[in-house]
Amino acid sequence: MKKTLGLHLLFAILLTTTQLLYANKKSVLAEQKELKNLIEELQYQFNEIEFIYNPNSFEGLLVNNYEIKASESLQINLHNLEKVAPISYKVNGKTVALRREDKTQSAQQYTITGTVVDEQQIPIPGVTILIKDTSLGTTTNMDGNFSIKVASFPVTLQISYIGYQSIIKTIESSATPLHFTMKTSTESLNEIVITGQGADVRKKRLPTKVTTIKSEDLEKIAAQRIDQQLAAQLPNAQINFTGGQAGATSIIRARGVNSAFLNSTPIIYLDGVRLDNLNTQAALGGTSQGAAMSAIADIPMDNIEKIEYINGGAATTLYGSDAANGVIQIFTKKGGEKGTHLTVSGETGVETPTADFLHFDKTKDLLLRNGAYQKYNLNLNGSSDKDFGYNFSTSFMNSSGVQIHDQNKNMKVDFSTGFKAKIAENFDYESSFLYVHNQYKRNRNGNQGGYTGLWFAEDGASKITGPGFNNRLDELTPEEFNEIKAFVDNAERLQDNQIIVNRFTTSQSFKYKPIENLFLKFTGGIDYRAQEQNVIETNEYLSATKGQEITDQGSIQNIQRNYLGLTLELTAQHTYETEDFSFISTVGGQFFRNKDHQILYSGTNIRDGALTISGAAVKDSDEYLSEVLNYGIYAQENIGYDDKLFLDLGIRGDRNPSFGSNIGTQFYPKAGLSYMMSSESWFTSNLISSLRFRGSYGIAGNLPPAYVHEKTIAFDGYLGNQAAMFGQIGNDNLKPEKTQTFEGGIDIALANNRVNFSVGYYKSLTKDALFYVTSAPSIGYNSASQIQNVGEIENYGLEISTQVTPIQTEDLSLSFNASFNTLHNEVINSNGAPAFSINGFSSRTLQTVVQEGHPIGFIRGNHGTFDENGVLEESTPQSYLGSTIPKVFGNLGTNFTYKNFNLFASASYQTGAYGANWDAQFRYLYGAAEGNIPAGEIEANERKNWLKFTNRFIEKTDFLKIRTIGATYTIKPKNKSIFKYMVLGLTAVNPLNFVSSSFDPEATISGAAQGQGGASTGGISYATYSAPRQFLFSFKVNF
Amino acid sequence: MKKTIIYSLFSILLLSACVDNPNVTENTYLNTPHAVSSWVNGLKRQMAKTSNTVNVNVAITSDNYFNNYSQYSKVFDILQLNYFDPDVNALQADVQALREMAIFGIEKVHPSDQAATEQDLAFMYLCLGYANILGGELFTGLPETTLGNVITPKENLENALEALDYAIDYETDTELIAAYHLLKARTHYHLGNQEKAITEATKALNSPSLLYQIQFDGTSQLANEMQNATYDALPNRLAPLPRLDFLDPKYYSVGTPTTDQKPVTLVKAEEAYLILAEAALAQNNILTAKENLTALLNLVEQRPVAMVDDSGETRNGGNRTDYPLTAVKVKFDNASTFKSNLVLNRQEGNIEVKTISGTHVKITDIENLTSTDDLLYYVYLLRQEIFISEGRRLTDLGIKYPISQVEQDNNPNVADEYTIAQIPAFVADKALDDFSTDENGNISISVDMNKIIVENKTDNTIVPFF
Repeated sequence: MKKTLGLHLLFAILLTTTQLLYANKKSVLAEQKELKNLIEELQYQFNEIEFIYNPNSFEGLLVNNYEIKASESLQINLHNLEKVAPISYKVNGKTVALRREDKTQSAQQYTITGTVVDEQQIPIPGVTILIKDTSLGTTTNMDGNFSIKVASFPVTLQISYIGYQSIIKTIESSATPLHFTMKTSTESLNEIVITGQGADVRKKRLPTKVTTIKSEDLEKIAAQRIDQQLAAQLPNAQINFTGGQAGATSIIRARGVNSAFLNSTPIIYLDGVRLDNLNTQAALGGTSQGAAMSAIADIPMDNIEKIEYINGGAATTLYGSDAANGVIQIFTKKGGEKGTHLTVSGETGVETPTADFLHFDKTKDLLLRNGAYQKYNLNLNGSSDKDFGYNFSTSFMNSSGVQIHDQNKNMKVDFSTGFKAKIAENFDYESSFLYVHNQYKRNRNGNQGGYTGLWFAEDGASKITGPGFNNRLDELTPEEFNEIKAFVDNAERLQDNQIIVNRFTTSQSFKYKPIENLFLKFTGGIDYRAQEQNVIETNEYLSATKGQEITDQGSIQNIQRNYLGLTLELTAQHTYETEDFSFISTVGGQFFRNKDHQILYSGTNIRDGALTISGAAVKDSDEYLSEVLNYGIYAQENIGYDDKLFLDLGIRGDRNPSFGSNIGTQFYPKAGLSYMMSSESWFTSNLISSLRFRGSYGIAGNLPPAYVHEKTIAFDGYLGNQAAMFGQIGNDNLKPEKTQTFEGGIDIALANNRVNFSVGYYKSLTKDALFYVTSAPSIGYNSASQIQNVGEIENYGLEISTQVTPIQTEDLSLSFNASFNTLHNEVINSNGAPAFSINGFSSRTLQTVVQEGHPIGFIRGNHGTFDENGVLEESTPQSYLGSTIPKVFGNLGTNFTYKNFNLFASASYQTGAYGANWDAQFRYLYGAAEGNIPAGEIEANERKNWLKFTNRFIEKTDFLKIRTIGATYTIKPKNKSIFKYMVLGLTAVNPLNFVSSSFDPEATISGAAQGQGGASTGGISYATYSAPRQFLFSFKVNF
Repeated sequence: MKKTIIYSLFSILLLSACVDNPNVTENTYLNTPHAVSSWVNGLKRQMAKTSNTVNVNVAITSDNYFNNYSQYSKVFDILQLNYFDPDVNALQADVQALREMAIFGIEKVHPSDQAATEQDLAFMYLCLGYANILGGELFTGLPETTLGNVITPKENLENALEALDYAIDYETDTELIAAYHLLKARTHYHLGNQEKAITEATKALNSPSLLYQIQFDGTSQLANEMQNATYDALPNRLAPLPRLDFLDPKYYSVGTPTTDQKPVTLVKAEEAYLILAEAALAQNNILTAKENLTALLNLVEQRPVAMVDDSGETRNGGNRTDYPLTAVKVKFDNASTFKSNLVLNRQEGNIEVKTISGTHVKITDIENLTSTDDLLYYVYLLRQEIFISEGRRLTDLGIKYPISQVEQDNNPNVADEYTIAQIPAFVADKALDDFSTDENGNISISVDMNKIIVENKTDNTIVPFF
């Protein structure tokens, strides 16, 4: 057994879905059975009768459309068999003699053979081939081959497979083998999904929407990170990038912002294992103004088979206490087609800085340049026989970045393997191992004090930095420019800020089917992510940027963040069918434990050239530790009636040590209905292919941070002794915030699935929302914030997505997809808690704020009015200056195929949000620009009122950004001995931006001012780099 | 095989079901030995932290310093003291943290620790007293306790006296007792209690060069922020009023700043003489006033002076054009005459740094003065120069910060009247930090606030003995 297991681990193959599809076949068409087996079955049924025959003569013969009827006599059964099989019989008392009787002129005399492949020319096993309008048919084998017997020509074949568009083809002869290429259909309600369900369920049974993105769609998008790949692919979620530097954080949100305390990033699973999804500054060594790094940037993205995404709300109830923001689940490939297959691919091209948003043309010349990008991938997959499958992939990516002196270069190496093995007939094992090494430079951004490139150039700070320069960069004389260029060049050259990430992720799962209808699945795995950040500031750098000689302030700061997440999940799924009803019962338990350990160690007064702190005159260190433990159990019942009406009920209970001592188990219920009206017998429409109504209610939660409910004493050092002070205020009633969501929708497919349209409406209310309540100064805790369940946050909106395929012929197809989402967000109650900031600066300047009666993260600052002379008349502090959350957002895409040529494009858009141009406000202060301020004010008061009219620096942040435009051409040689196919492509990444603001509406500082994992809505433009453009050539060869 | 898998799964589950709690809860703390020593240290640390917040913000708000740094208050210089201002909140948070930590120490930590001494208790009462003094000096009112009733500056000061009496009772060290008497003298001075102030000041002078200082610790993230603002951070974050240029910086470092953090004075004998001089003037006793001022100047003369390289000083603006970095003359206001040696050229070698007290006033300046007002002017000029960078000037100007919005939002006892800053009208209409520079670089300061103080000496927000 152990030996077998070892072998199975090494060579595994079997596409996950195969078994399910084979199982599914039973209900769709009458089976082809071996005649030999049928005779054995008859012997079993009528065991008092003796059968006499030569088994060899029936070897390999297949019979269609024959069922043994136990209720009928042996005679009738044999009579029926004689009609469909080459057999004759004689009954003599209790003895039956059988003989082969070849009926050459019988109904099935021609054999049609062929192969079915997908768009990537990979064979698809389990495809149903039906003779149209009959129940005669077969399925493809593991190699995608099929063979079917027909009586006469012409014959019309219907080729169908879940998740693909059906093919109907009329065949004139059986002379040559057939070749069918199936195209994926994006909205298939028969598709099987797992995320949010515990185990496999078809989409149509679910009252909520599950978005599936297949590897083919992901591969089209040249991306350095997973959220970039998903940005234009999730119809009802928005992914914006807060900066263009490697490792920058992103803002991912769907269904608004349901928490004022927790970042809106969904939780992310890989093959059932939770991943580190920190998408804000860390507790040590980051700032909300800049330098925040995202753990999403290095999520493994090789080897992905598909991604499932569910919005928060009823769909995520089974994920319990921290799933209110939705769930992204990545499934990796575990096998390939039979044999050994090698695919080599590469992308290479240039990167150019996105200078559209720079105020001064000269900034580009000072800080940016063109760069080179390359990525290579090697994939080996295959199967030895139907029980083993494997997939191995490795890739190397190197981007030189677009900042001078390689200050944003990015290098990433991925290794991943996936295995699948059948250990026993009813016992499967799957495993994936992924390793990522990512190393990138991160020069100073935001305003990290002293010299910071963009702040220096774009914000007018060149006037007060170093020797001081003329800060109107576009008005510089060539001599002045050369002088400032030399200063900047030196300052950039001398920066040394590097991040290294090593990440190892594995998922192991066992599937056990003890009896026909019961399916057990155990998944366990870890995600280990080690991040090292080194910031070296030499005396040379300090002297160069401060304009005076500094000899004793060189420093090195190292920050290590180690994340270890462990996930264990056990699920049992039972299926039961009666005449009209089908029941899928799921129970399970999930356990996860995350450890986040950060260590900061730094040295000051270090000799230039030293790379460790060991030689520092002064050494310092700090530490942060957070451990989260959550365990929950869930139960779900999905009841189907007549394969058209489905009731979905579920509940999860969670316990967690981060809850206050007065808080016990937290429960999350859900209930929903899905009704496939188009499955009704009376529903006959040539126009509507499928019509479904869905509605649901569910609760999902967000966990408070670990241990903040405790009243603690904190310590620090003081003159070599231990100094005690008040720590956390404590809260015995601390519990998760809970978001309850009502949602309803219609999914409709028209004209043979050529038009898919989905419209939904949701309304969610976060109760007991966790707010940072700043403590009164009089309680002595130094105005520490205390997390309390005091808020109520409302979000509602429409979610509309559509896919239209106006042209679809054998050679030509054109499709468009679009989504349109509206969003209303409001803090409807804060129970008197004071407003608190989630981004920005001090409460007297500019902040994005959480306050009752307003959307989360609205811009708050001074609102100034001017008299008729253009002089400031009045300034009202802490005014509402606009929401940073868009009212409308969505994605657009198109795909055009002509024979082997494919052209595609994708875009994202938003409207109805505002951003503060803090850069422009500084330019005003430092006299580098006048902005939108009347001349009268400058004349009367010079620049001293610069903070009093922030309203004049607020801009609409509407945008339409084309994320990708690409084209591919597939070459399929006649002689496949050298290679099977080759795909050549050209892609432009971020080619076009149409925006209403003078700054990049996405590249706004990352926020999360309340600390690690805090809420963030962006909204402040402050010395942040935009994502560069890339123009790439790609190739992919399959051998 | 299956059994093995199942057993290993269970053992993984059990092993991973416990997490480490990195916190020390209040109960754990109080039930472990020697809590008091760490609490006393915590109080010392908090005292240093409080003094940082007070020193920097008072320097900016008053005429002493102008802020060029984006992360310090950009509005205190123009006397915008709003109740929603985060620095207004931070000030009272640090003051009240000291008070609440002292109360917790007295009520909870001290009784729970066998090893606690009476001296520990005396120090806790000192912290309580000092917190109440700052409460009375700096704010229009403050809650008396956690979310408690708001009490007036006078009531705060009276609470301070009570705490200081306890501190004196529990203390045995004569030097410390003298320091506590001087704090009492300061409190009585603010309350206008002339006789008691004289009594306490006289007791304090039993220790003629009395000095009690707050220590800082750069390696534990508790640097002397005033030192950072005026010396270590380049460019310097704060720029002194030109006539006080020669007193900048008061704190400096040699080598790595982290390891060389200079202390800030909490109590020094100079204050006793200043109180006695002002009290004498209030009693029209010019001679005694002069004697006290002479004794004061003699004491200042004895205080240490260091020679420091301050060539890194480049006040570079922010949003005002700063005065020259060379030695120029300065006029205290337009009606005065130019004085030399007040603005230093720091590039010509080391400068003198008066680490405890410094002044440009000479005994000869006061010898021939005869009028109360002339002498009172010198008392306030000396207060300004001697106490520079010690967080004292604001009270001389009669300015008080409001109770913060955060307090009012959390505490129903805060009436709206407390949320408005106290800025005397004769201060509100002045541009405290303004000056002009002529073609030679010589500076004319727009207003001499010490003259304004003397002109308005009977106003009840300033000059308590008049």
